[in-house]
Amino acid sequence: MEIKFEYTHSKLIELSWPKSISPETLKQLIQVKKFLEHEYAEGIKEIRMGFHTLSLRLQLDIQKADCLELLDEINTLDFSDFEFQSDTWSIPVYYGAEFGKDLFKLSELLQLSEKEIITLHASKEYQLYFYGFLPGFMYLGGLDPKLHIPRKSNPERTVKPGSVAIGGSQTGIYPIESPGGWHVIGNCPISLFDIHQTPPVQPKIGDLIRFRSIDLQEYNDLKHLSKLGNYTWKHD
Amino acid sequence: MIKLPAYIHFLQPGLMSSIQDLGRFGLAQFGVPYSGAMDRYAVAQVNFILRNPKDAAVLEMTGIGPEMVFESETRIVFAGAEVEALLNGKGIKYGQVIEIQPDDHLVVKKIKKGQWAYMGIQGGFESETIAGSKSWYGSITPRTKITKGDSVCYLSEENRFYPPVETKAKIRSDWFRNSKIQVYPGPEWELLPKLLHNRILNKSFTISDMINRMAYQLEEVIAHDMEPILTSPVYPGTIQLTPSGKLIVLMRDAQVTGGYPRILQVENASLNVLTQKRTGEKITFNIS
Repeated sequence: MEIKFEYTHSKLIELSWPKSISPETLKQLIQVKKFLEHEYAEGIKEIRMGFHTLSLRLQLDIQKADCLELLDEINTLDFSDFEFQSDTWSIPVYYGAEFGKDLFKLSELLQLSEKEIITLHASKEYQLYFYGFLPGFMYLGGLDPKLHIPRKSNPERTVKPGSVAIGGSQTGIYPIESPGGWHVIGNCPISLFDIHQTPPVQPKIGDLIRFRSIDLQEYNDLKHLSKLGNYTWKHD
Repeated sequence: MIKLPAYIHFLQPGLMSSIQDLGRFGLAQFGVPYSGAMDRYAVAQVNFILRNPKDAAVLEMTGIGPEMVFESETRIVFAGAEVEALLNGKGIKYGQVIEIQPDDHLVVKKIKKGQWAYMGIQGGFESETIAGSKSWYGSITPRTKITKGDSVCYLSEENRFYPPVETKAKIRSDWFRNSKIQVYPGPEWELLPKLLHNRILNKSFTISDMINRMAYQLEEVIAHDMEPILTSPVYPGTIQLTPSGKLIVLMRDAQVTGGYPRILQVENASLNVLTQKRTGEKITFNIS
């Protein structure tokens, strides 16, 4: 894949891949990020990810000519040196009722029954592209095209923490209360972000997420466990 | 030297007063904004005058300031926006060390010039350090802003053995009157037609009333037909072009990613200047 660079200034550059949301692009982003962290740890202050971009804040100054050299180096990289493993996490969700207040409306808009929406949503695996928008908010790829739906034209002032929602071609969970324009279909009882843990989140970039439909009893039990700090994240 | 914990008690909170330092770094990969003082230059000034560490936490204020009582003796300095403030009923000086005695009463009535005022305190404020920073930010720290009846800790020193910093070189606030903002091209700048480059660089923009710690929106509209981008990284100082043609300058509490084209990036020193602009003030962009 062709990689380009955008030069903002001597301490801020961006590597960009062709504009797409794809597992192949994500794989390269992760591998190049690993390479940079491995080879240029001292020169780099921070690497931020987007769907097809790596933004590099640098410790040292870089010139445009250096960027071209860096691109050459990346283009001749043996990616097999930077393999990574994706873990699969199961995230419990109570769908519908008062926890998914937009589910009924969504079923009208999508011409699908509530049950069909839940089944479609909970039967897929979603890949974690990066965190953004809010602390602990996962950008997930892989929503079934049957569930793609434009965002609300008027965003809600407050969306409850744990809300599982759909917007555009994406799905996600609001880790904290926030304004939001996505359609809420359920709620996740466990905490997704804890600033007092290192790292404050469990799934890492490239991991897979599966949503598991739970009943009210289990929702309440897990909510209680999570509040006490006794919920243990586990992956397959 | 014995340092004893003491508190400032807030009788009135002001409009949006919070404790800030230089920010929280290294957690953007998990979606956590940098936060930190809007005007970092002002923080550098108060901490220099007080001989504090560079990243000592300060009190940030905007609009209407708070009213407070000090428990114990210390020294404070004001910088950033100019304030109208009374200490025990008497006016205070900008950029100078002010000696504080137990039970002193300070009221910051309003911000006169600029947008964000700073009060530094000897040794810095002692609010909780979370993930390496004392900067208040909702969902990360217990408090987002000071509320009525709140208290914030500082360390009071009875004896001070070092001489105060020479303050003959008077600190002034006119540095932020500059209306020329230095910018760099953002990742999507080259996707704009040359005509719009010229329009943006030759236009004077007005600060709208939509200004807060996350972003400043500008009034003028730049009609364009750019597509939204796939969500990509953004920083404080990133200027986004919205579908309606408004420019949004991201500030310290900005999200770490965004979906609008990133047309420009404000240079660091200019970003401090820009934070001090008020609704209705004009700026122009100068590309480096």
